[in-house]
Amino acid sequence: MTLAQTRPDPSLAHVLDVDHVSIAIGGKTIVEDVSFWIPKGEFVCLCGPNGAGKSTLLKAIMGLLPTSAGAITIDGRVGYVPQRKGFARDFPARAVDLIVAAMRGTWPASIRAEEHERARTVLAKIGGEHLLGTPIADLSGGETQRVFLARALVTDPTLLILDEPTAGVDARGRAELLELMTGLSRSDELAAILVTHNLAAVAQTAERIMYLEAGRLLCWGLPHELLGQESLTALAFGAGDHHAQPAGEE
Amino acid sequence: MSWLLAPLAYDFMQRAMIAALAVAAVCAVIGVFVVQRGLAFLGDGLAHAAFGGIAIGLYLGASVDHAVWIAIPFTAVIALGIGYVLRRTQLRGDVATGVFFSFSFALGVLFLGLRTAQDRQVDVESLLFGNMLAVTPEVLIVVVLVAVLALVLTMLLWSRLAYAIFDPELAAISGVPVAVLEYLLLVETAVVVVVAVKTVGVVLVSSFVVIPAAIARLLVRTLARATALALVIGVAGASVGLIASFHLDTPTTATIILIHCAVFAGALAWARRRR
Repeated sequence: MTLAQTRPDPSLAHVLDVDHVSIAIGGKTIVEDVSFWIPKGEFVCLCGPNGAGKSTLLKAIMGLLPTSAGAITIDGRVGYVPQRKGFARDFPARAVDLIVAAMRGTWPASIRAEEHERARTVLAKIGGEHLLGTPIADLSGGETQRVFLARALVTDPTLLILDEPTAGVDARGRAELLELMTGLSRSDELAAILVTHNLAAVAQTAERIMYLEAGRLLCWGLPHELLGQESLTALAFGAGDHHAQPAGEE
Repeated sequence: MSWLLAPLAYDFMQRAMIAALAVAAVCAVIGVFVVQRGLAFLGDGLAHAAFGGIAIGLYLGASVDHAVWIAIPFTAVIALGIGYVLRRTQLRGDVATGVFFSFSFALGVLFLGLRTAQDRQVDVESLLFGNMLAVTPEVLIVVVLVAVLALVLTMLLWSRLAYAIFDPELAAISGVPVAVLEYLLLVETAVVVVVAVKTVGVVLVSSFVVIPAAIARLLVRTLARATALALVIGVAGASVGLIASFHLDTPTTATIILIHCAVFAGALAWARRRR
């Protein structure tokens, strides 16, 4: 596949540097010789089929997996918004507990007034102040992800990692979340990596697109360079599917 | 009031009360994490593993009291095995526990069967159903010591354990050693269950782990309050049950558990009305 692929200006301050990184799990190479960088405030969509190595790469960036070769350098903190399925939904907790847990790095038995205020401020910034005392089990899909976004923001990150954050969220909630995340990226000069299988989400958010397949970075360029290519679009999002998928099928 | 507390004039009732409070407190606190981790069946599984360990000890010539020292490492290894299967396979906790529970109990029955007529007599019924009123001063010391150590350890690790159970991935990103904590919780539960088996028996020990935690989960909205409430319910139910069993002349452990079950029914009704 030969495509025009415009890289970010290397003279800009890098928030993330992934330099010839390979990752092996159990002797099997999952990510192979991947290199890219993300400048401050850039919103990147990371695409690729299931099993391409996207989640493995993100885990290595977050320090959860070691690299077998190469180096990952982060300037600042990483904020992580996971898929909704990863946590114990029946856990007795309120939104404020989750946000304060991110601030402390441990689960809070009690919450100090200043921590409560900080959590309220961050939630208010993304229009979720009313969710502060809501039990996590009572939150809708969109509300849950809003709380997880606040949880990521409360640590003052320089890079947001958004791992299919709108999966299972209804169409309206998905549009609101994507708008919120791109807005934050612009206003706070917050770099972001959004993993998604949804072409509409990519078209709505991406300032740059990376396409990973079989552990290798095949494409890295601007949306108009890559989304216009039938071959890449078909590979990444399914043949002929140029439209948003129905809610819950992302 | 004096009539109510009259049973505590007896030495055996004082020992029973201390043992009941210690077992109820530590099981309730650990139970909050075990239940939240989706391992409600774990207490039952480990109690049956303890039976296997005690049977091996008896086969080797130890008394029931001393066989506990063989049962503790045996049950801890079984707990680690359950943890390994949980982390390394797609099997759910109840499946992993069920397999190890069957293995350990079968091993226990096998070793009891291998004993000869010359071997020391064993009251299998008291092993299965416990006898809180027959707790000796030596056993009481072990029960209290293990309960205090386990409670202190759980309280020290509470914040990290809670985070690891809520979301292992987010906890790991925050630097919480999730795998270590999970194995530690399993081994801690194993040790507590083996010691508790000496007082409440193999069959009923899991009730002390599961029911107070389940009641608390129905009534409160934060894990900290659930932990505190489970502790209070466990201890209150144990003390009321012990005194009631004396006056009603009913089996002690069963009376305690039935009181806990009555509280659970009340909590369930209250929780349904609240919705």
